[in-house]
Amino acid sequence: MHMATTLTINGETKSFDAPPDMPLLWVLRDILGMTGTKFGCGIAQCGACTVHVDGKAVRSCVLPVSAVANRAITTIEHVGSTPAGAKVQKAWLDAEVVQCGYCQSGQIMAAAALLAATPNPDDSDIDAAMAGNICRCGTYVRIREAIKHAANGRQS
Amino acid sequence: MRILGSLVVIAIVVAGLAVWIIRGPGPLDFAAGPKVALADYRAGKPTGVPAKLEKAGIVERGEYIAKAADCMVCHTKPGEKDYSGGLAFKLPFGTLYSTNITPDKDTGIGNYSDQDFLNAVQHGKRRDGARLYPAMPYTSYTFMTDEDVLAVKAYLFSLPAVRAKAPDNTLSFPFNQRWAMIVWSAVFNPDTRFTPDTSKSPEWNRGAYLAEALAHCGECHTPRNLGFALDNRKKFAGAITAGWRAFNISSDKATGLGNWSDKDLIAYLSLGHAPGHGSASGPMGEAVDHSFSQFAPEDISSIIAYLRSVPPQPSPDLPATTAPVAPASHREGVTADARGKKVFASACASCHGWSGESPVSPMATLTGTWAVNDPAATNVAQIVISGTKRHTPDGALSMPAFGNAYTDDEIAAVANYVTARFGAKGSKLTAKDVAELRGQTAE
Repeated sequence: MHMATTLTINGETKSFDAPPDMPLLWVLRDILGMTGTKFGCGIAQCGACTVHVDGKAVRSCVLPVSAVANRAITTIEHVGSTPAGAKVQKAWLDAEVVQCGYCQSGQIMAAAALLAATPNPDDSDIDAAMAGNICRCGTYVRIREAIKHAANGRQS
Repeated sequence: MRILGSLVVIAIVVAGLAVWIIRGPGPLDFAAGPKVALADYRAGKPTGVPAKLEKAGIVERGEYIAKAADCMVCHTKPGEKDYSGGLAFKLPFGTLYSTNITPDKDTGIGNYSDQDFLNAVQHGKRRDGARLYPAMPYTSYTFMTDEDVLAVKAYLFSLPAVRAKAPDNTLSFPFNQRWAMIVWSAVFNPDTRFTPDTSKSPEWNRGAYLAEALAHCGECHTPRNLGFALDNRKKFAGAITAGWRAFNISSDKATGLGNWSDKDLIAYLSLGHAPGHGSASGPMGEAVDHSFSQFAPEDISSIIAYLRSVPPQPSPDLPATTAPVAPASHREGVTADARGKKVFASACASCHGWSGESPVSPMATLTGTWAVNDPAATNVAQIVISGTKRHTPDGALSMPAFGNAYTDDEIAAVANYVTARFGAKGSKLTAKDVAELRGQTAE
């Protein structure tokens, strides 16, 4: 059963037909062609599909589209226009975080949500916010460094 | 000789007394008003289908009643055809498999006459004369009218016949002796049809019929006695069934439904979720999806009217009040179980939040639920093991099963962390407890 659905994604209104139980990730990638958000595990255990809903990092692969109507969705395509997202992206480039890159849009979304809520995170804050984002290349050390770099950048 | 005779008499009296004590009251005995035969009750119609289906054919009426009696969930193995049986019930003394109740003549109930079907549903007697185990809740269904039972039969016979033979039961001695169920049945099956209580409202009587004869709430929510039958002295006080805790649904204010608003009860039964009370999962999630969500609104109201009349039974192991929202930051609140916190951060936090109020959906909010406020953490551990998939009107919401991803140790640690952070008192589960819970779920 398809239903006319309207979502607010990256500040724009998008209308499309989708079954109400279709995960947001499918809508983003397959219907709207926004492929920056990645499919990893499909069961909310790797973090690759992380997007923001009302500013909070959530896993779009298990989030039925019916649950996010009337809520502000931000994806990797647009996070650079938020203050925290811009700082994170710059820090990511400065620290050369990325190796293969597959998990990185999720990592950046999680880091941006962390910094927006906790401007000066310590290691335990980073652990608590980033533990659900897995990187097969093992870029964790550079991710931690870049988050701290982005936080310091904000202070200066 | 006289002494021996006296001893025999004493033994019989003692045995009879013991049976009488163990059996206790019937499920409706708490409502002590005068009863009349159904045929003589004029105030309303407690049995059958709601008004909108009154003129429907027998198959359609039977479908409503079959759903209200929730036949399908137990008589369907996940992934197999509806009503084709084979669901495994893991009991302490072996495994029972539900039967195929499609009209297949060889493996189903295709050869059942009306009387055969009545015998099975109301008396626990199979067509070949063998006795059913009370996993089939015939001690509840016995309150159904013949008309309603036969409407269910007409519905089942309207479905496609499925050839499917359930595996043989693997019960240990003496539980594998089916004939012994003759004795059990004689003691524990009230074997009586529903009789309205004239001191109560028509709505209450309809609710009583729905809750006792059809929905068989007590089969999960009433503790069992020494004979594994329902102990109605503790009616609806809550119990563990199939590895999940069915919570207290008596009218107790602190630990039962006494403080739930009508609105919350309606939402919980018809949608499987009420704000501040959490979401139905496990067997209750199935009951909502396949049974209560199909109820007519007036039938939901009747059930609620009935539930409110059930005398309060406190659950002393539950806290008097559920815990408030946890702090938004991971730093505050309980941080004692480092391992549990680690698992929570990686597997749980993105949907449930550090505060317990889900950033994703109110259905995933932990705050206020009995599951996280139960110091035994049964349902927390169970849902981590088995996950859930609920079908709500606006789309399915699901939680993945983590049983294969985490060890018993890790599941115990995260359950202990979750109950400590979001509940009134942290649990002390061990890996062994989790292993036992894994063994109890029906599959």
